[in-house]
Formats: sequence, structure tokens, C-alpha cells
Amino acid sequence: MSSFIDPDLAQAHRIRRELRRRDVLRGAANGFGALALQSLLARDGHAAPKRVDPLEAKTPHFAPKAKSVIFLFNVGAPSSMDTFDPKPKLTEMHGRPMPESMGKVGGQFTDGSQPIFGSPWEFKPRGQSGMPISTLFPHVAQHADDLCVVRSFTTRSVVHAPAMYEVHCGRLFATHPSMGAWVTYGLGSESDNLPAYVVMPQPEGTPEGGPPCWGAAFLPAVYQGTLLRPGPTPILHLERPPDMTESRQRRTLDLLQKLNEMDAGQDSEMAARISSYELAFRMQAHAPEAVDLQKETPATREMYGLNQDHTRDFGTRLLLARRMVERGVRFVQVYSGGGPIFMQWDAHQHLVANHEKMAGHTDQPIGALLTDLKQRGLLDETLVVWGAEFGRLPTSQSGNGRDHNPYGFTMWFAGGGTKGGRVIGATDDFGLRAVEKPYTMRDFHATLLHLLGLDQHQLWYLHNGRHEKLVDFGGNLIEEVYA
Amino acid sequence: MIRAVLAMLALILFGLTAAAAPPKAARSDYWAFQTPAPQAVPSNPSPWIRTAVDAFLLDKLQAKNLEPSPELGKQMLVRRLYLDLWGLPPTPEQVDAFVNDRSPRAYEELVERLMASPHYGERWAQKWLDVVRYADTNGFEGDKLRPQAWRYRDYVVRSFTEDKPYDRFVQEQIAGDELFAGDDQALIATGFLRAGPRHVVGGNTDPEMLRQELMVEMTAGVGSAFLGLTVQCARCHDHKFDPILQADYYQLQAFFAPVTLEEVSIASPEEVAAYEQAKAAHEARLEPIQKTLKEMEKPWHDKAYEINKQNLEPALKAALDKPEEQRSEEEKQLASDAKSQAKVAWYDMLAVMPADIKAERAQLRRKLHAIELEAPTPPRAAFAVGNTDKEPPITHILAIGDYQHPLGEVQAEFLSAVPDFGLEVPGGAAGRRAALARWLTHPQHPLTARVMVNRIWQFRMGAALTDDPNNFGLLGAASPSQPELLDYLATQFVDLGWSVKAIDRMIVLSSAYRQAVATDEAKAKIDPDNKLYWRANRVRLSGEQIRDQALAVTGKLNLAVGGEPVLVPIEPEIYDLIFTEGEPDNLWPVTPDPESHHRRSLYLLNKRTVRLPLLANFDQPDTMSSCAVRSRSTHALQSLTLLNSDFIQDASKAFAERLAGACGQDDKTCQAELAWRLSLSRRPNDVERTLAVEFLSDPDTRLQDFCLALLNRNELVYRP
Repeated sequence: MSSFIDPDLAQAHRIRRELRRRDVLRGAANGFGALALQSLLARDGHAAPKRVDPLEAKTPHFAPKAKSVIFLFNVGAPSSMDTFDPKPKLTEMHGRPMPESMGKVGGQFTDGSQPIFGSPWEFKPRGQSGMPISTLFPHVAQHADDLCVVRSFTTRSVVHAPAMYEVHCGRLFATHPSMGAWVTYGLGSESDNLPAYVVMPQPEGTPEGGPPCWGAAFLPAVYQGTLLRPGPTPILHLERPPDMTESRQRRTLDLLQKLNEMDAGQDSEMAARISSYELAFRMQAHAPEAVDLQKETPATREMYGLNQDHTRDFGTRLLLARRMVERGVRFVQVYSGGGPIFMQWDAHQHLVANHEKMAGHTDQPIGALLTDLKQRGLLDETLVVWGAEFGRLPTSQSGNGRDHNPYGFTMWFAGGGTKGGRVIGATDDFGLRAVEKPYTMRDFHATLLHLLGLDQHQLWYLHNGRHEKLVDFGGNLIEEVYA
Repeated sequence: MIRAVLAMLALILFGLTAAAAPPKAARSDYWAFQTPAPQAVPSNPSPWIRTAVDAFLLDKLQAKNLEPSPELGKQMLVRRLYLDLWGLPPTPEQVDAFVNDRSPRAYEELVERLMASPHYGERWAQKWLDVVRYADTNGFEGDKLRPQAWRYRDYVVRSFTEDKPYDRFVQEQIAGDELFAGDDQALIATGFLRAGPRHVVGGNTDPEMLRQELMVEMTAGVGSAFLGLTVQCARCHDHKFDPILQADYYQLQAFFAPVTLEEVSIASPEEVAAYEQAKAAHEARLEPIQKTLKEMEKPWHDKAYEINKQNLEPALKAALDKPEEQRSEEEKQLASDAKSQAKVAWYDMLAVMPADIKAERAQLRRKLHAIELEAPTPPRAAFAVGNTDKEPPITHILAIGDYQHPLGEVQAEFLSAVPDFGLEVPGGAAGRRAALARWLTHPQHPLTARVMVNRIWQFRMGAALTDDPNNFGLLGAASPSQPELLDYLATQFVDLGWSVKAIDRMIVLSSAYRQAVATDEAKAKIDPDNKLYWRANRVRLSGEQIRDQALAVTGKLNLAVGGEPVLVPIEPEIYDLIFTEGEPDNLWPVTPDPESHHRRSLYLLNKRTVRLPLLANFDQPDTMSSCAVRSRSTHALQSLTLLNSDFIQDASKAFAERLAGACGQDDKTCQAELAWRLSLSRRPNDVERTLAVEFLSDPDTRLQDFCLALLNRNELVYRP
């Protein structure tokens, strides 16, 4: 797959520049663009009021390594010892009890007395780096030299929703904004035609944590994640009602904007409201184009797996993710899994069937995404993160599954200034606990912000008298990720 | 001393860099901890002064050589008053009645009329529910409905409508069960302590952690709502600039240590009997369908089980097939694993069910769900709290707020920076909260009255007298912009029997309140943030008001007061966000009566994880933490929702029908006139009339499009 060359590749950079330039010339052709507004206001002898645009691109605190993020979240939690953290000891001791020295560590449903469960998959050294990756991820494995695998993350709950909130929002209670909301608040958007922060859940259902995982909490609503769905109407309420034609909507908006201009005066908020209608109208025109996958070559569509049943859905969403970052979207959150157990990584039973299926959905599309970003020169500035709310226990549940394990699990980074072919931290011989360089979600968030040029301590919002931050108390930067 | 040692210990243990706590004296010197001093109203002969509020403000304005702005015209004043006091726009008749009322007391009388209505209580309730982060569900993955919780919402509406003395209002919410035994409303009021989110989940969760979360929520709720302090800052360690020490925080938490969560029946025996009878009748309607469903499912369930069983590893299958009493220890384990591996989930069964049976089953389920919606309302119960009859749990200071790192033990004690007014806290389970409530509502308490009058002020004037109405601590407002006025209002509040209406009246009757939203570059240079109130602040309507207003303008608004929350139809995209591992039908049982879909937004089901886009996009709080002032953002998703959603389309259509009904299809001038009066409470000016008639005469546009434009107008979503 890595030898695949997109015929458009030579033009990729030019297209990207063009897409962003078009954003700058925001829809002047639409008749009531910003330029028209300025002139109308000037006609009345007013200096145009300063437009308050909460999504205006902002300067980071220091030079960023990454400009945008694609966060791949695996709902229900894949097992680390079956994917990126080989534990030969488990195979060796399969079926035997955990040594007493390890203590009895249970999950949400087991008490730690269950027998050891060796990984059903084989690990192989991959790439120049020789990084071991299991046979569950053959396509991802081809990018081993681009992956920066941290094997020693921890969360603080054995239950899905609180642990998901901790990964997304930094707190076990969903009282705080999601990291996408923080990043959008801190950096604004580079796209004027699309939302700054988009979210693509599994079509079969939402993750346990639900919408707070992309919520703005106490931040203004403008920073919340916007759902993006494949198909002709990707954004809620984007589509005109069936009995509303485009030309009639234009006339209606023209009337509205003329009336609104009478109200605006010198008020920057009202002026912003006028702009928001311009943007809404532009979004109606541009968003369907931004999600039109027919614009992609057959080879690209095939690479992402759009021609196969098992990869079509996730491949479609990852191809959309690439199109989004290409158009300046800041934060893209894509879920593998959600809703009923059969569509989650939550393998309490039937680990083999479950992980084969879920990895089968995602492996080829993720490999394609990394290939595609790289060949378009986007991988350097796009941080790809693969993770979950926790990992799974080394012991078995119901004989052939695994319970939850927040005490040590794997997430990985690629691109966005991170070092490929690198493995950071370690769990014990059983994959039960992080023992070498254990990292918390605070450390994860601090590092993510750092890669985007944001200082964890400087990115705050005053709420109820407290300087609220994504990273409470501050986290340790995982410097090996990028240095 | 103990406190200092504990603080040091926390520092040593956790390497925190905070400096040692400043001495207690420095904390109690802080302005917000001084009992408000009675303030003489400044004497000023200016005719601008209508209430004492104006005298305080004018003093400061004149000191800066600033003139107040002109008064808003009568027509816009009545609009502002309705939007502020009821949350709704006035009807054209209500506007006319006021404009044509030449009585010198017309304004005062209108204020009285508006304040006497339950809509006044509804408007206040929306504000109060933000502060207490009220929702109808638990939050988290289950996000279960709290079936009786809405009675607290209605209690709040009623309290503000009746002008319940605020000290009593506070007492009921904190300790209604202890202080007013036998009073159902006071019991319902304690739902306040349960208003926050709560994690309810199965499996091996840590009960100690869940209990600590509950304690944190209760403490935070009281801190934010009544003390105006973000006490949870001190949950983890002392802060140099915070008047609340970590020990204070846990001493406050200890008041709630004995609390138990209770659903207390407040129904009469007749009511319960009637319910039992209705329930039996209802179940009798459900049973035959449930039975048919079960019979229909059984063969396919069995088939799925057989398939799952065939897929078992031979050893497991063998163990399962063996009679139970013959299984060895090892086989018992294997059989147990086998059972859980072969368990049939709903999707396993559907996978083997033929399409025609599946369709029949789906239809039956719809029928079942429709009948379920007609379930009789359970007898009245209070979503309340009580006290444990056991020894209450001991409260510890927790290092970095972590229940796994307990430090010293603490007792329930009042905040160290505030006097205890000679009140004592009982050591046992009962009466702790009563003592806390008495302490909070002591007439000399420095915070309670100040915090509430500041909320009233912020609600009406669009900006608080402190930077953050939820934080009177050092980290928040350094000092209020108008300290004398704040203290005057606070002392008056107590002297006037803690009457919210009295303070509210003092504000809305003032000349300061009646000013226009004027722009003046020279004045803005002197006071850019309008701290001195030389003009009215621009206030955007809330999402709830925008929705209610659209319904009012179209004549569809259903003004029924109180009752169970309403589920309005939602977009399929929003439906899909409801988390379930079960079969995803009937997750949002829409309230059958279509008239109820036009109820005020206050009565729509507030589900923590499923937000309605129209409200959420306009910065509706997420109900996860207290919200004193809503944030205000402007973005394109608001515009898309107000242009294309079913709600706004229906509203434009109804608005058009109303105009056509009154004016006929062809009288464009009449349509424009009426549209303006209904939506903006005024007549169109010449430019507007021309634009409107031009648009309406265009053969390519519809009256409905015109209505859509009006419902989106800037002027409509801002208070005049």
C-alpha cells in the first residue's frame, strides 16, 4: 500500500493552498458576502464595526509541530497485549492463575481470580525499527516507522463513561470541555466554510460517554464538536427544507440581511450575527462538496476500503477526515465502535471474533490514512492519535474475553512532529500495570497541546471564578514523543 | 494549628508549590466576609432618581461627568419588561394597553401585574435552574430519567411566583426535611441537593469513590448557589488567594456526610390506591402484547442459542451438556463460561429471525410502546434526601481531593472566615443541615444576601456588580464595582423580609433600568465596560426565549404551567446520539399530545447527554456544573438551525397562516404591519414597509419565507 501513488499527488499541495485561499475570499460571489456588508455600512457613514469572530485563527503560544488533529477513538477499549504491547509471558502461562505477587486486580466485572489468557495473535517485528505489532493490524504495521507508541498510559476508572470523559475532557465527570473544544478555543479555525471541530461517531451508535465527549461544557457553544455524517447532508440542518429552493432562500436571506444591517449599527456582536448567516449559506454550498467522495480517484477510494463491506464505513469516515484537515478543519474526532456491544471493542466475551472484526473494520483505512496524509505532505502537520478509554486485562473473562484494564494501556501517535518507530514506557510482564514511565491523561493532554503550540498553563478559561484548564494541576510533557 | 500541619503535610506529600496558608485574620478581613453595612442613600435632587438604585448610580456617574442615557420609548420599554419578567414578548394588545395608558403609574402597575403571574416564576426558575445545574436525568451512559425530579422545578416556579422569603427558600432546599417536617414542598425542595449529575452503573464500581463524588456535588451545589463561592477550588489543596481553606471545604462537606437519597411518597392513600388500580388496568393492556412477543421470539431465541452453543469450544460445550450435579469444579467453571459465551443478545436473535417475523415484531413493539406512553402517572413522591439512621461516615481531608489519600478527620463546621453566630452543629446525623441552613440565612451572614441580590441585579441589568456572580472569593471578583449599592441592596433584602420581588422591583422601576442601549463614543471612552451603568447593556435572548418567542409570535405557544417534562420530536441525528447497548427503538418516547410540543422551553425534558440543537447552539448550559451567567457565542450552526430546522419551518408556516388569516392573502401592507407588531412589538418604518411589500409582492417568494426572515432578525433575538 505504501507504494501506491495517487495520480493527484503532484497537485495535492496546490489544491490545498487553493482551498484555503478560497476560504479567505469568503464567498464574495454569493451576493451578500462580507465585502457587500462592509460597503453597505460604509454607505451609511459608519466605519464597519469590528467583526467578532470567535473562530478566527489565533497565534499559538509557541511554534507548533502540528496544526490539526485526527483523533481515532476505539470505543469499548482494544486490548493492548493483543495489538501493540506483546506479552510472551501470558502465552507461556496461559490458563494458569496470576502469580500472587501481582495482587488480585479485577476489572468492572471480574475480580482478578480468573486464569491468564495468552494472546491469540502473533506479534512480528515491523519496519526498520522492528516495532512489534500483532497480526491484527497488518496495514497499520506497514507504518511502524511512523508510529510513536506509548505503552504506559493509565486512566482512573474501570467504567467506560468516566474513563472516556477522562480521556476526552481530563475529568472523570463530564464537567469540562473536551480537548477538541479546548484546541478550537485556543487556535480557532483555518476554514471559513466548515466547522472547526468535527466528530464522526460510529453509525450504529454513540460511545458510552455520549456527546459530552465532544462537548464545550462551560466554553461558549461555538467551540463544541459538530457532528459530521457521510452523505449529501453532512451537518445537521444544513439541508434546505424540501420546499425551499436555493433562489428563494437567497431572496429570503437578502431580505433578512437588509433588515439585520439596520439593527447592527456599531454593535460587533450583531455584525458577527450577520456574518454567521453568510457562513451558513456558504456552508450549504461548500460542505456537500467537502464530503463528496466522488471527487476522489477510484484508487484512493479503494485504498481506504470503500469497495469492501467491512471497511466501507470506517474508510469513508477516514477519507472524510483527510478531506477535512486538508480544508483547514482543526480537530477531527472519529469513533471506531459505539452503541450495541457487537459494535464495540468491548470484548468481555469472544475476544478473537470481536477484535478480528473491529480491527478488520479499521486496519486498512488507518493504513490508507497514514499513506495518504504522507503522500500529500499533510502528515507532518497533522497529528494522528489512536487510543481508547483503557485497555484489557491479562486474565480472561467468561473463558474467552477480557475485562477492562485502566492500570496500563497503549495509545499511539503518528505525524504532527512526533517521532516514528519509537516505543515509550512499559507495562509489567503481564501487561497489567504501567511500570516504566507511567503516564496519566494529564500528561497526554499536556503533550497534545504542546504539539499544537499551546502551553497547558496558558490555555485557560475563567469559569465560576476559577481559571479552568484542560490539564488540572498540570501534566508532564512526554518529551520522547517529539524530541 | 492542625490546619497548618495538614496543609504542610499535603505540600510535602504532593510537592505542591502553593505558599503556606495566610493567617485566618487576613481572610476574614476580606470585603465579602464583612457583614454588609447599612448604607445611606446618597441625597441628590436630580429628577432622574426614581428608586434608591438610581441615587447610588448617579453619584458615581456624576463623579465621572457622565450623563445617563435617555429612557427607552414606551413601546420598547414594555417589550423589554415582558421579555425580562416573563421571558416572552408582549402581544400587540399588551403593547397597546401600556402605550395608551396615560396614568402616571402605568409602568408601576404593569410591573406589579407581571410580577403576580406564574410566568414571572417561570422566568426566574430558568435562571435558578441554571445555577443549581438542574436536569431531568442522571448523566453518564445510563442517563436515566429521574421520574419525580420535575417537582423541584415546579417548586422553584411556585417559590418565585409567591415571593417566598429567600431565607426560607434556602432553608427548604438545604434542610427542608429536618426543619419543616410534614411540609411536602419543603421535602421536594431538598431535590436541590440531588440536582447535579450522578454516576449510576453496574459492576465492580468503588462505592467509596461514588460516595465521594456525591459529597463533592452536594458541597459544590451549596457553595455555588448560596455562598457564591467556588468552594471546590479548595478540594485539593489551599490556595494563596482563596478565602476557603482545604479544611473549610471538608468541614462543609461533613454537613452532608449523613445524607441519604430518598424517594419519599407524598401521596394520599386514596391516590396510591387509585394508581395501583390504574396500573393493573394498564398492565392488563400490555400483557397480551408482551405475551405474543415472547411467543414470537422464543423459537428464534432458542435457535440463536443453539448456534451460539455450537460455536462453543468442545470442552465448554461438553461441560454445559453435562447435568449440573455431575460437573467437577473445573467443569462448573467451564459451564459458567459457556453460559455467558452462549448468551443470546437481542441482535443474535434478530440475526436469525426471518424478515416477515421481524417486521411483525417491530410493529408489535411499536404498539407496545404506544400503550406504554399511556401509563398512569405514579403517585406523587419527593425526589429528596434524608439522614442515615446509622453512625454517619467520618469525613476526612483528602489530599489532592482523592478519597484514597485521606488526611486528618474533620467535623462539620462553618467556614472559618465567617462568624458562627453562636450556632452549634450537632454531632449526630440529624440536624447538621438544619444548622447549616440557619447559619446561611442568619441576617448577619455576609454572603447569602449579597450573592442573591447580585444575581437579581445581573439578571435584570445584564451584568453583575461583581465580575462573577458565582464567585465572591478572592480568585473571582477583586472588589465589586459598586460596593455601596451592593451592600445597600443586601441589607434592604434582609430588612424587607428577604423578598426577591422587593429588590427586583427596586431595580426594574429604576431609571437606570429604563435606559436605552445607547451608543456614545465619548462615554464609552470613559467607561468602556459600562461598569457605571450609563446605558443599558445589550442582552441576547436565551435559546429558550428564542424558541418560546417564535411560538408566541405564531400564536402556538402553550402557556400551561408545571407538570411532567415534555419530549418534543427530535431530529434523527440527535436521536442517534442516545447511548444504548439495547435495542435502539423507543429511546425518546415523544409526548403524545401535540399541543404539549408547544409548551415553554422550561418544561422540555432536560437530558444531560442529549441536548436540543436550538437550545444548545444558543449556549444553553450543559447542567454539569453551576452556571451563573450564560456564555454567549455567535456562530453559523445557530443560523442553520434557525433557517432549516423543522421547528423554525413549522413556526414560519404557522406565522404565515396567522398573517393570512388576519389580513387575507393579498393585503401585503396589512401583513407587514401585523408581522412587525407580532414579532417586534412595533410598526415597521417606511424603509421596512417598502422592503416587506416588495418581498411579499415578488411572485417567487412566499409569505412563509418572509416570516422566516423575520424570525431570524437580529432585533428579535436581542432585548431592546
